Amino acid sequence: MRRRKRTGWRRVFNGVYISSFFVVLFLVLPLYWLIASSFKTPPSLGDSPPQYFPNPISGGNYSQAFKQYDFGIYFRNSLIVTIIATALVLIVGTLAGYALGRLPMRGKFTLMVTLLMISVFPEIALIAPLYTLLKNLGWLNSFQALIIPYAAFNLPFAIWILRNYMLGIPKEMEETGRIDGAGPLRTIWTIILPMALPGVFTAGIFCFTACWTEFLMALTFNSVNTYKTIPVGIATFGTAQYVPYGTIFAASVVAVVPIGILVFIFRKFVISGLTSGAVKG
Amino acid sequence: MSTISTAAEQVPATAPLVGRPDVNRKRMARLGWLFTAPSLIIIAGVTIFPIIYSVVMSFSNVTVTGNGIQLGSFTGANYSLVLGNSTWHYALFFTIFYTVVTVLVELVLGTLIALVLQRLTGGRGWMMALLLIPWSMITVINAELWQYIFQGTYGVMGAIFNAVGLGHPNFLGTPTPAIISLMIADIWKTTPFVAIIVLAGLVMLPGDVYEAAEVDGSSGWSTFWRITVPLLRPTLALAVMFRVLQAFGLFDLPYVMTTGGPGTSTNSLAILGYNAMFKNLSFGPGAAVATTTALLVLLGCLVSLRGFKVQVGKEGM
Repeated sequence: MRRRKRTGWRRVFNGVYISSFFVVLFLVLPLYWLIASSFKTPPSLGDSPPQYFPNPISGGNYSQAFKQYDFGIYFRNSLIVTIIATALVLIVGTLAGYALGRLPMRGKFTLMVTLLMISVFPEIALIAPLYTLLKNLGWLNSFQALIIPYAAFNLPFAIWILRNYMLGIPKEMEETGRIDGAGPLRTIWTIILPMALPGVFTAGIFCFTACWTEFLMALTFNSVNTYKTIPVGIATFGTAQYVPYGTIFAASVVAVVPIGILVFIFRKFVISGLTSGAVKG
Repeated sequence: MSTISTAAEQVPATAPLVGRPDVNRKRMARLGWLFTAPSLIIIAGVTIFPIIYSVVMSFSNVTVTGNGIQLGSFTGANYSLVLGNSTWHYALFFTIFYTVVTVLVELVLGTLIALVLQRLTGGRGWMMALLLIPWSMITVINAELWQYIFQGTYGVMGAIFNAVGLGHPNFLGTPTPAIISLMIADIWKTTPFVAIIVLAGLVMLPGDVYEAAEVDGSSGWSTFWRITVPLLRPTLALAVMFRVLQAFGLFDLPYVMTTGGPGTSTNSLAILGYNAMFKNLSFGPGAAVATTTALLVLLGCLVSLRGFKVQVGKEGM
C-alpha cells in the first residue's frame, strides 16, 4: 500500500535494492575470501598486496588437508559425535516434549524455567568438574566424552521447541489413537510424531549445528588426534611459527559445505526455530 | 465425539479409565515423568552435579596430583585472590565492554538489514539462506578467516588501508585495533541472527496500525520510532537477552584469533578461567573465575526475565 509502482530504471535503482546489494556484499565478501584463499598456492597466500583472484587455481591445499594433516579423521569424528548426539537429543527430547506439552504433570512450569536457565549456563563453569568426572570414568578421548555433554547442553532448547509444537496438536487426534487401543508410545510414533515433524526438524538442525561447531569441550576433553573434532583440528593445524592458512581454509570449506547444504534445505525450520526460540521464549 | 464414546464401549479395558478422570490423570502424570526422566537424567548428570562440584571446588584448597584433582580444606582464598586481581578486573571489564558494544552494533545493523529485507519483493528466500551461512559457521573458522584478513603483513585489510593512504597497521599486534578486529569478526557472524529475529518480528506486526499512521500523515521516520520500535520491543528485548548471555561466555573467537593477546588485551573471563585451570593447573582460582562468571550470567538472566515477565507469561505455561 505504501509502495508506489516504480517503472524503468527507478525500479532497479531504488533504495531497497541498493541497500540489499550492500547487505549481500557484507555477507559474501568474507565468504569469497575464504573460498578464494583455499585455492591459492601456499606461497601466493603470503603475497602483499594479496591476489584478489587465485592465480594459478590450485587444489593442493585440499589434498594437503587430507594427506599431510588428519582432516579426514577429524571429519569422521565430527560426523559420529554430531549424528549420535542429535539422534539422542531427538529421541529423548521428543518424549519429554510430549510429556511437558500434553500430559498433566505437576511442577511443569518450574521444570521449564529450570531448563531455560540451564540452557544459558556458560560452558566454562562446567568444564573442570566435567573433565574430572570424565577422567575418573576413563572417558577422556572418546566419543561419549562429547556425545553425552552435547546431548545435555542441547536438550533444553530441543525440549522447548518440541513442547511448543506438541501444544499445537489437537487433542482429538490423540484420543482417537488411544481409543483404538494403541499404547502411549505407539500413539506418539503413529499420530503425534508425524504432526510434530516440523518441530523435530527444527530441534534437529539446531542440535546438529551446535554440535558441529562446539569448541571448548572438544578442546578440553578430546586432545588426542584420533578423537579430535573439526573445530579443534582446524585450530591446532600448524605451529606457533607457521600457520598453514591454505590447508586451514581448504578444510574450512569442506567443513562449512555440509552444514551449509543442510541449513539451506531446512532453512524454513531454522528460521521458525530462531523466531519461536526468541519470540516465544 | 460420538464415535469416541462408541469406540470406548467396544474396548472394555480402557473404559474404566475414560470414566474415571482422576485415575486417568494420575496415570498420565506418572507417564509424563517416565517420559521426562531420560532427558532429566542426562541433563542433571552433565550440569547439576558439576555445578555443585564447581562451587565446592571454588571454595577449596585444590591440589593437583597424578590421579587428578584433590579437593582439600575449605578456604575463601580463591575468591580473594581472584576478586583482588587486576587481570580479573580487566577481563571483567573487557567482557562487559565487548558484550555491550557488539550487541548494540548487531542490534542496530540487524534491524537495518531486517527493514531492508522486509521491503524486498523478490529474492527474500535467497537472502534468508545467505543470512544463515555466517550463523551456521564454525566460530573457529570465522576466527581463522578474520585473523588472515587482519594479518599484519599480508592481510587484505592492510592492503585496503594502504591503498587509501592509511598505512599498513598491525591490527592484531596492538591492543585497541585487535579488540576492534575481534568485534568486526563477531559482528559479521552474529548480525544475521539478529536480522532474522527482527524480520520475523516485523512480519508479525499488525498492518492496520500502519495504515492508520499513514492516514494521520505520519512520516516514515516518526512511524518507525513511534510505532515500529515500541511494537517491536519484546522481540528486540529477547534477541538482546540471548545475545548478551552468549557474548558473556566469549571464548572461541579470541582464543583462536588473538589468543587473548596482544598481552592480555583480549582476555575474556572464559579464557582467563580456562587458562587458569588447564594451562596453569590452578583449579581453585579457575573455578572461582568460572563460578563468578556463571553467577553474573544467572543474575543477568533473572533481571531480564523479570523485565520480560509479561511476554513470557503470555505463553501461558
